[in-house]
Amino acid sequence: MTTATHRFSITSLPPAVKAVTLPILLILAWQAWTLTLPENSPAPAPAKVVASFLALTASGDLIWSTLQSLGRVIAGFAIAMVCGISLGVLMGSSKAVRENLDPIVESFRPIAPMAILPIAILWFGTGTPAALTIVAYAAFFPLLVNTVYGVSRVDRQLVRAAQTMGIGRLRTVLAVIVPAAVPSVLLGSRLAMGVAWTAIIAAELAVGAKSGSGGSGGIGNMMFIFYAYSVDLNGIVVCMIVVGVIALLIDRLFRAAETRLLPWRT
Amino acid sequence: MTVATMPTSQKPKLRLQNVTKEFVAKRTGQKTLAVSDFSLDVRPGEFLCVVGPSGCGKSTVLNMIAGLDQPTEGSIVMDGQLVTRPGAERGVMFQDYALFPWKSVRDNVGFGLKHGTPGNGLSPVERRERVDHFVKMVGLEAAATKYPHQLSGGMRQRVALARLLANGPEVLLMDEPLGALDAQTRMVLQVELLRIWGEAADHGERKTVVFITHGIDEAVFLADRVVVMSSHPGRVSAVIDIDIPRPRTEHIRSEPRFGQLTDEIWSLIRDEAYQAIA
Repeated sequence: MTTATHRFSITSLPPAVKAVTLPILLILAWQAWTLTLPENSPAPAPAKVVASFLALTASGDLIWSTLQSLGRVIAGFAIAMVCGISLGVLMGSSKAVRENLDPIVESFRPIAPMAILPIAILWFGTGTPAALTIVAYAAFFPLLVNTVYGVSRVDRQLVRAAQTMGIGRLRTVLAVIVPAAVPSVLLGSRLAMGVAWTAIIAAELAVGAKSGSGGSGGIGNMMFIFYAYSVDLNGIVVCMIVVGVIALLIDRLFRAAETRLLPWRT
Repeated sequence: MTVATMPTSQKPKLRLQNVTKEFVAKRTGQKTLAVSDFSLDVRPGEFLCVVGPSGCGKSTVLNMIAGLDQPTEGSIVMDGQLVTRPGAERGVMFQDYALFPWKSVRDNVGFGLKHGTPGNGLSPVERRERVDHFVKMVGLEAAATKYPHQLSGGMRQRVALARLLANGPEVLLMDEPLGALDAQTRMVLQVELLRIWGEAADHGERKTVVFITHGIDEAVFLADRVVVMSSHPGRVSAVIDIDIPRPRTEHIRSEPRFGQLTDEIWSLIRDEAYQAIA
């Protein structure tokens, strides 16, 4: 920095540096604050959170719970995908089907996934089937709505073009309408995966509340145990961070899949 | 000359008889007469251009020939068969090209061969050869793996033309295919279009073309006959024979006959064109 032209400027920093600078400052401030508290305070502190993370990872508890939650999300999401996309294609391509089903779909859509938890627990107990039901229910609507939108908004001219090439009705649906709807379906999938992940944590927390420490596992259940039994706020923060990081990774994965699957866009 | 009848004993490729199309607005129930009492014979192997002021129902006529729209009254007959729905024997090149954005140039050209009736009885190898042939004919070998959004307007137009020809239609229906291009590209592609149509070949080997345009000079340059339409409702106001010999080159644009014919057609449209912008 010998001359004025080389002056330091925030805008010239690489994006990665900008992305971590503020979080690091906040964590430092948080750590500084906890140093003012008495040694036996239950308040979470960065150093304690890191220690808790290392201990939970070493014992395998954290990894196992994460995998359990992820497995449920993937299974529930798969169910939602099959139902949501097939029904969406039907509703999007047939006006009669759409007009008959729309009132039912629209009256169920605003009902939060948590609101069907009592019924799910009564029917399926506190195990995996109840969790799957919640996840599938949550993921179903974004998939359905976006598929219907994508299919019904297909460029009519492309369908007409297909007709003038002697392409039949069913073949037109498969070769023109479905591929044209793929961008909307992928967007729906990304949104659905997001709400599925949110829903599973909430469902496991709630199921944990119902079944206690002998619950059905998963990160949500782990959080409940930290809350209700060991009163370990540091453990809860570890879980929160893991949930956030995984949500971020899932989102990035879907975005990457979008650019790979849609090379014809931009 | 309000009705174009056959001057020879030759059977028409297409016969439009008293074709009328009325659109009814869904909400208001208001009726619009788009095309009225439209009669025309299209000869086999002829290049027929349809010109007229914007909104005169040119595209509606084309869509009815394609079978995409049904006439309210009257009939459209191709080779003695009533046209009731779309079919690959009447290929359409749309104004906006209607290329499949998720398909490469090659796959767009081969789309009808893969999914539609034009591919019937062809082996995969024959299909591939046919796609290669037409991709080469329009000069797009180098761009064969590109997607439509990566192409210029002129290149997209060529893809649409190759796709149309690959399906082997007997009648080519073209709806202002050069309309979206700049003037230079347009003139180059007009010459190209005549070459691909087979201007230099025997008359019997040429496809029948119905070509919609709003460019009068374009119509005179391309056509054997020009149908002039008037609007509200759309009807045939005149049919002009273009007696400029083929093969045609750029030079004919500066010939007196070219100017005369252009003026003649313009004089038929002028009043309505002025009314439309008044």
